[in-house]
Amino acid sequence: MSIAAQLRVLIVDDTSTSRMLIRDGLEELGVRNIFFAGDGEQALQFMMSTPAHLVISDFNMPKLDGLGLLKAIRGYNPTKKVPFIMLTGRGDKEVLENAIKLGVNNFLTKPFTVPALKKALEAIIGKLS
Amino acid sequence: MTAMSHGRNRVHIIQGEYRVVDDPDTVLATVLGSCVAACLRDAEAGVGGMNHFLLPGDMGAGRGDAERYGVHLMELLVNGLLKKGARRDRLEGKLFGGARMMEGLSDIGAKNAAFAKRFLQNEGIRLVAEDLGGDRGRRIEYSPVSGRARQSLLSGPTPTVAPTPPAAISRLPAAGSLELF
Repeated sequence: MSIAAQLRVLIVDDTSTSRMLIRDGLEELGVRNIFFAGDGEQALQFMMSTPAHLVISDFNMPKLDGLGLLKAIRGYNPTKKVPFIMLTGRGDKEVLENAIKLGVNNFLTKPFTVPALKKALEAIIGKLS
Repeated sequence: MTAMSHGRNRVHIIQGEYRVVDDPDTVLATVLGSCVAACLRDAEAGVGGMNHFLLPGDMGAGRGDAERYGVHLMELLVNGLLKKGARRDRLEGKLFGGARMMEGLSDIGAKNAAFAKRFLQNEGIRLVAEDLGGDRGRRIEYSPVSGRARQSLLSGPTPTVAPTPPAAISRLPAAGSLELF
């Protein structure tokens, strides 16, 4: 089985259309186990019960934003090493700097292409197939 | 002339842009061909906004790329509204544009219109008015705080998809049909 097929990925985004598009991109890359959260709080609850191998999270979200989620994941022992990819808009320099300080593994600028998604994933976990 | 045309602040939105305002005197205006403008607002919070987008064509773009671009522009508008105090579950939308401007080519306007409607439906944003499709350009004025929209259909020169400076827009002949939404 390819690495992609074994991977459990959590998508965190408050826009459901956006979640579906990220899912489509992941499925194109062979990822089969995909989970969803609509904000940082939901994501945190999910991670505390059934941690994913990788989190792809939007920055701008209600309740708990991407930075807050990253901080919480890094501060919780069982999840502190889970790779985290942050989705950002162009020009979010402050967000990038703060995310780096908090230990983000990679960024993906919206709107992203599937090859860009693949590159971001492979930079963290190696070749997908 | 209606009060809307006299809005003290008139802001023109070009393709790829969006604007969110909470000032009742601001009117957002745009001219559309096959592009679509989404006008969203939260009446209770007294905040609204407009974007103006054109999905890129299929050439050179992978599957889903055009859709991701469109979603990004819609998200920018929605996030801008939420930042100014709007609530997602109170948002209502009006959609304009998506005309078929050139015979023989693929109907980009229809693709834009279908995308915008699908987005609002997926996000649970109530569509309260729309005027999409047809074969003529439109001039739209939207007052985000009151939610009133005014549309005049254009005749004569086709507005190009390239950004048009506001000065040129006033010279575009309107066909005289004015509709309120």
